[in-house]
Amino acid sequence: MSNSKTFDPDFDLTTLESHLAGTLKPVSTPSVVTHRLKRRIRLPQRSEIVTRFNNWRSLIIALSGTLSGLLLIITVARALYHLVGRKGS
Amino acid sequence: MTESELRDEEILALASKGDKDAFGMLYERYVDRIFNYVYYRTGNLHDAEDLTARVFQRAMNHIQNYTDRGVPFSAWLYRIAHNLVANWHRDRSRKQEIPINDLPVLPSRGDHPETRLMHSQEQDSLLRLIRRLPPDRQQLLILKFVEDMSNAEIGQIMGRSEGAVKSLYHRTLLALRDQIGDHPMTLEGE
Repeated sequence: MSNSKTFDPDFDLTTLESHLAGTLKPVSTPSVVTHRLKRRIRLPQRSEIVTRFNNWRSLIIALSGTLSGLLLIITVARALYHLVGRKGS
Repeated sequence: MTESELRDEEILALASKGDKDAFGMLYERYVDRIFNYVYYRTGNLHDAEDLTARVFQRAMNHIQNYTDRGVPFSAWLYRIAHNLVANWHRDRSRKQEIPINDLPVLPSRGDHPETRLMHSQEQDSLLRLIRRLPPDRQQLLILKFVEDMSNAEIGQIMGRSEGAVKSLYHRTLLALRDQIGDHPMTLEGE
């Protein structure tokens, strides 16, 4: 199907435009793709998480909260260990 | 009032308040156009799907930041798509992956089934040459031919004046014609 005559380097721009119009045609999005995309972008948890974490302030608060919580748990665990340890000895 | 009677502005007002059904309406209206754009820019069905999803995810997450300053919602979506495609091309070049495959055949709107499968070597060659153009020129051609947009509409998306788009279009055609002259073997099917 190749046709070198069609692509004569000297052809005018109008011919080139008609070739472009024949090549760059709108395609139909496969329905499977449309539905899959819809499912994907409508995942509520994911989008909520993404929205939440797009905010730097929320991210910093969440990180500091997690670290504080961890420190508290470690402190309580150590206190309990020492108390139980002393009673045992 | 039916869904089709609602204007973009009305739907946008609802979507920016977190109404996911409203965003779903916007998705239905624009998914084909964004998919077409990304598909022609990537030349790859799988990545076109992935990037289209990311365009809408990003739009959904930032819709509160969208303010109508004379730029249509579609222009905002195209800009997101353009940026994501640019990042995608940059990542690909860093990873030095295999070159982009030729576009797989997808049915053109309104084509008969037989003509759908007609994807001549001539078109393949022209697509390869288009993909060698700078990104802004590729964007211009896709918006003009695939989306059938006017220079003014393209200007809104590309952030250029109508005259600048017209000028860029003319230079793009000349460059493409020169490329055709430089690569006659390519156009004969290599």
